[in-house]
Amino acid sequence: MQANSGMLTKFESKSSRAKGIAFHPKRPWILVSLHSSTIQLWDYRMGTLIDRFEEHDGPVRGVDFHKTQPLFVSGGDDYKIKVWSYQTRRCLFTLNGHLDYIRTVFFHHELPWIVSASDDQTIRIWNWQNRSLLCTMTGHNHYAMCAQFHPKEDLVVSASLDQSVRVWDISGLRKKHSAPTSMSFEDQVARANANQTDMFGNTDAVVKFVLEGHDRGVNWVAFHPTMPLIVSAGDDRLIKLWRMSETKAWEVDTCRGHFQNASGCLFHPHQDLILSAGEDKTIRVWDLNKRTAVNTFKRENDRFWVIAAHPEINLFAAGHDNGVMVFKLERERPASAVYQNTLFYITKEKHVRSYDFQKNVESPTLLSLKKLGSPWVPPRTLSYNPAERSVLVTSPSDGGSYELINLPRDGSGAIEPAESKRGQGNSAVFVARNRFAILNTSAQTVDIKDLTNNTTRSFKPPVGTSDIYFGGTGNLLIITPTAVHLYDIQQKKSTAELAVTGVKYVVWSNDGLYAALLSKHNVTIVTKTLEQVSTLHETIRIKSATWDDAGVLLYSTLNHVKYTLLNGDNGIVRTLDQTVYLVRVKGRNVYCLDRSAKPKILHIDPTEYRFKLALVKRNYEEMLHIIQNSSLVGQSIISYLQKKGYPEIALQFVQDPTTRFELAIECGNLEVAVEMAKQLDRPKLWTRLSTEALAHGNHSVVEMCYQKLKNFDKLSFLYLTTGDSAKLARMAKIAEHRGDFTSRFQNNLYIGDVEDRIQMFKEIDLYPLAYMTAKSHGMEEECQSILEATGLTEEQLNMPQLGEPLAPPKPIVPTYQANWPTKATSTSFFEKALLGQVEGLSLEDEPSAANGLGLEDAGEDDVAAKRNGTLVEADDEDAAGWDMGDDIVPEVEEGFVNVESAETGGAGSSEADLWARNSPLAVDHVAGGSFETAMQLLNRQVGAVNFAPLKPRFLEVYQASKTYLPAAAGLPPLVNYVRRNIEESDPRKVLPIIPRDLEYLAANDLQRGYDCMKANRLEEGLAIFKGILHAVLINAVGSDSEVEEAKKLITSAGEYAVAMAIELGRRQLGTQDVVNQNPQLLKRSLELSAYFTIPKIGVPHRQLTLLSAMSQAMRAKNYNLALSFANRILANGGSAKIMENAKKTKATCERNPHDAVEIEFDQFAEFDICAASHTPIYTGTAYEECAFDGSKYLPKYKGTVCAVCEVCEVGKHGSGLKLFA
Amino acid sequence: MEDPYSAEGELINIHNHFHQGQYQEVVDFDTSSLSAENAIPARVLQLRARIALGEAEDVIADVQGESDPALEAVGALAEQALGTSDAAVKTIEKLAQSAADNATVQVLGGTVLQAAGKSEEAVALLSQHSGNLEAVALIVQIHLQQNRNDLAIKEVTAARRWAQDSLLVNLAESWVGLRLGGDRYQQAFYVFEELAQAPATSSVRTIVSQAVAELHLGRTEEAQAALEQAMRKEPGFAEAIANLLVLTVITGKSPKELTSSLEKVDAQHPFLLDLAEKSELFDKAAKKYKAKAAA
Repeated sequence: MQANSGMLTKFESKSSRAKGIAFHPKRPWILVSLHSSTIQLWDYRMGTLIDRFEEHDGPVRGVDFHKTQPLFVSGGDDYKIKVWSYQTRRCLFTLNGHLDYIRTVFFHHELPWIVSASDDQTIRIWNWQNRSLLCTMTGHNHYAMCAQFHPKEDLVVSASLDQSVRVWDISGLRKKHSAPTSMSFEDQVARANANQTDMFGNTDAVVKFVLEGHDRGVNWVAFHPTMPLIVSAGDDRLIKLWRMSETKAWEVDTCRGHFQNASGCLFHPHQDLILSAGEDKTIRVWDLNKRTAVNTFKRENDRFWVIAAHPEINLFAAGHDNGVMVFKLERERPASAVYQNTLFYITKEKHVRSYDFQKNVESPTLLSLKKLGSPWVPPRTLSYNPAERSVLVTSPSDGGSYELINLPRDGSGAIEPAESKRGQGNSAVFVARNRFAILNTSAQTVDIKDLTNNTTRSFKPPVGTSDIYFGGTGNLLIITPTAVHLYDIQQKKSTAELAVTGVKYVVWSNDGLYAALLSKHNVTIVTKTLEQVSTLHETIRIKSATWDDAGVLLYSTLNHVKYTLLNGDNGIVRTLDQTVYLVRVKGRNVYCLDRSAKPKILHIDPTEYRFKLALVKRNYEEMLHIIQNSSLVGQSIISYLQKKGYPEIALQFVQDPTTRFELAIECGNLEVAVEMAKQLDRPKLWTRLSTEALAHGNHSVVEMCYQKLKNFDKLSFLYLTTGDSAKLARMAKIAEHRGDFTSRFQNNLYIGDVEDRIQMFKEIDLYPLAYMTAKSHGMEEECQSILEATGLTEEQLNMPQLGEPLAPPKPIVPTYQANWPTKATSTSFFEKALLGQVEGLSLEDEPSAANGLGLEDAGEDDVAAKRNGTLVEADDEDAAGWDMGDDIVPEVEEGFVNVESAETGGAGSSEADLWARNSPLAVDHVAGGSFETAMQLLNRQVGAVNFAPLKPRFLEVYQASKTYLPAAAGLPPLVNYVRRNIEESDPRKVLPIIPRDLEYLAANDLQRGYDCMKANRLEEGLAIFKGILHAVLINAVGSDSEVEEAKKLITSAGEYAVAMAIELGRRQLGTQDVVNQNPQLLKRSLELSAYFTIPKIGVPHRQLTLLSAMSQAMRAKNYNLALSFANRILANGGSAKIMENAKKTKATCERNPHDAVEIEFDQFAEFDICAASHTPIYTGTAYEECAFDGSKYLPKYKGTVCAVCEVCEVGKHGSGLKLFA
Repeated sequence: MEDPYSAEGELINIHNHFHQGQYQEVVDFDTSSLSAENAIPARVLQLRARIALGEAEDVIADVQGESDPALEAVGALAEQALGTSDAAVKTIEKLAQSAADNATVQVLGGTVLQAAGKSEEAVALLSQHSGNLEAVALIVQIHLQQNRNDLAIKEVTAARRWAQDSLLVNLAESWVGLRLGGDRYQQAFYVFEELAQAPATSSVRTIVSQAVAELHLGRTEEAQAALEQAMRKEPGFAEAIANLLVLTVITGKSPKELTSSLEKVDAQHPFLLDLAEKSELFDKAAKKYKAKAAA
């Protein structure tokens, strides 16, 4: 038995000793509990550690997933059983009761039960729903090492170091804990009479069988999933198989082979195999029926401690000294070969069959390969020779062997092969009608053989050759771990080499021009001369591939069917719920073999890749056909087309005006751009359009843009260059109306209007310039009149040398009359087709398709007519838009004129800038560092004017917003932006994190404030409540209901702040002695102590204020006042001590209800306290408010800074605080 | 020529140590058995590691009088590290004329130029590389620093195509991931965590990177644990302090103590400079507002 043959390791982890393992029944997850106290959750498919759970103290030995709920259970050396939620990532609760280490824990398959085995010699069953211990099973007299529920029946099997295996009947327990009706009276009587109780009178779980046979401790035991069999593993190094009936159980046989303690064992879920693992560093596979060793896998250094099987798929896991490994026993890829319309494949029973793609029919068995290799090792590859109708099969058993067999001509004959030729070899492929190649990896030779199995030639392949594939006639593709060679068999040399690592499979296109090289995570497409065409990477394993007739490669990963074009453009075709091996694609059908080697048909929608292919090949008829006949629309195809440089085609699919505009600009389709710009009418778009139109030489569009933008200077210059002097004259007029002298001068220069220039200079008192202008143009009369007007004579002037008068050039061609010459724009075939210009390709017949695709233009007139239409329209607008009337044309807004697109080069805007853009909340502006706008917002919302107290909060929020990632050495760290919506990655929606959100404030700051109130630390308390106000002011919440909570918090903090300020004000009046000696102060002191009871604070705290006021009043002999406080205290209720105190005071006061000091406090009146003066504001009188915290003020305080929040202006009303967008 | 940094190349280990931030391991690396053609690249890596460890002055002395452009570039990098940015930039600009095809000149030149605020020049120099992943990573970082996430994505996607599973591509992709967010946070976390938690690849820089990823994922407790791990490993690592400070603020606690320890370690840290600037901005902006009436 050779070691390690056939074991396929899928995943390995490194860690401390792994003691417990559990597969998730659905997801590719495995739980591993470690000796180091950690529980790891791995994704064995991706090879990533998903989570770690560390709450156990000491080694964790048992772990199990719940079959349906997101739960798992663990048991450890801390005597604790913990039930966890992997969704919330925490331990839900702990089951205590065991008195020693826990060895195993398992969930029941349907009841809410857990069974545990412990070194305290007991096995316990727990209910995890009501978290109670249901049953303690005693009987073992040494450590209980393992206990498991039977998958169907009410049985438990356990193993112990007392050398026994026990089977327990727990049907009593089920009856007891099932619905109460389930037990009839008869049942109860029967049960009472049945002599099933153990020595403690316990009928819940009773020992059914005690299996003795191991002569050392037993470490593990397991039920067979369907048959009445049990397997156990013990320190006597034996694996024992037991059988049971209703009434008895007995030992069947023993598997000998482990040469150290056997630590774990199980039945293969689907095959007649037993797997065991031991401290001898081996995993052994046994034939269940013959009890003979089938295979042994040895590890160099690590002892195995546990083994587990996936319940559904062919996967196992074993835990050892340094981690876990997930492995398969055998390959599940069925060997197959395709020839024309026939698939040849080998079934799980090792029968060769064929399948006809066209007829969708499976043939009967053509051939049996039972005798090829070991019965447990499936054949690896199949190569088909149509000329001879023979197959070449390889098998990995016996160090690699091959067999050449002729298929029977009719499928109905004998299925045992009549004659076969065989030999040693790892890979075998047909290379010609009468030749095949055999690779022997250990000898590193390739033999070319004829059909009589004689070697005709032989050569040494490149070093490290691991596999060979057909390489085109006369050639082999030779695979090494790092490269693929194209090998010419005749010349015996490598003619081409390509560095591709880890190639496992080669798939040729149907025309033999291309091959796909598949490795675990890469697909590389090469030509038949081994030139690389494209390559792509997949994070999920690639399983198989097949070519469609048009040259698109479809490939499957563990969970998807995908496609790739030759240019590497790829995408998803459909998802897979189980692994399949693609063999063929035809139309909408993908043919494949599943893991049980059954042919299957998957239906796919090939539209997407066909469309892309047509695009690459410029096959417009095909594209049109697809557009007409499918529902291929949507954002993905548009952005795809745009990205791939086909904006003119994408344009046909879009309806959204903004996108249409962008695309139209990109492909130079000005008509569409104009149309969209009119629709959207935004200055930025007009600017872009003008630039683009200018590049085209389409000046009429440019003109319209400038008009829209009111870009007078550019417009004038445009008219100058196009020779449109009439319009220039109008521009000059307009400038005059606008009172823009510079512009007027400019326009007059353009048209050569000297008179008006002189007139203008005169208007603005620039007589020297006016004179000079007139003089240089020889207008003597005008000169004279200027001289007269200024009272000067010519002699008094000091004249410079005059040059030739400036005359504007005359236009040779009236360019403005026609849009010529414009840059040629090509109308693509596609556009023409869509415009109905290509014969036979009109879309008219299919109006339904046109509707969905924005093809309304299709039926319109030709392009030229359309263009003219645009012009006419523009002219009309010109007249209307420029009617001068009496209105003064509004000022040009600076911002609009020179907006240049900032899209190329230079730095972009940071996420912090986006926050401010994305949110109307002040806090988001603060986090983005945009303090000015934040202040503006607060000013508008709540009339904030005094920002200094908010500085700590501003900086707090700001400081939380960014992290510093150390990147390349020598450069400052990379700044990233911390979000509160971490799931979001759309830049238009991301928002910053907010430290001390509402929940935090309520749970922390508010409580600290209350504590201060209780402990009479009022200064500190006042600071805390003001801090809360500031923190809420700069904050954000997630819903409208939270807005309400925030408002409550603001009100409450405001009331506390006022109360505390009143009492602090009282204390500042002076010491008790000072106050008592000054009647004025005493009066004020008593008033303040009374006002202290007014703010709406929590009842227990109110009682404190009342107590204080009461004792103050008593001391001042204001008995009537004290009485009112006592009554209020009694009305509020509360602790006996306070009540007692109040009652006593009340009794005293009632005897003499008079006040010694008269104060301004009417206990029967409704009033609020002015937060600034601390005097009453009676209901019905005028008052002002703080728009933020709602504190009230006497009207004279209007315009001052609020004394409570210290930020807002009293009486200034705003739009209200915004905390939620 | 075979790439000495590829999986089979003899510089792979020292190269990876460097980019995992294990500078002491780079300095201690036994280079005696390397082939002659790799002697200079190995020496450059060691010198760069020493600069990162704060031995820039010694490095300048070490490369004094050397004429190999790579070593001259190292000298410029050391000068940059010491704050004499102008001289460093001058050297690099000279080298960019004479030896722009030298990979070390590109990478170190790009670093020096970027550190001196000359991003465009840096990218122009780096873009001359031929298949140098380090240059790619730097370009990505520069784009990110300029907030050109689009260009960074483009760069890293292109590199992913020809250099699939290399350390630098993984790192650069993770840097981009942390900027983009969403699902990409978790992917970046996996990369950093794998490096940070394996003893063979762990360094204070990778641990901090892992913590940053956790912080973005909202896992404050885990981030705290990782940052404390980093602080134990190297108490004076400014980025560890800065991020712990940020975390402290996020969890609602006072960052006072950490601010003063960051000031002690690196008074010029971007966090502090930025904060001071914002504090000033606040005062200035706040002045624009006043209550109508005095109290």
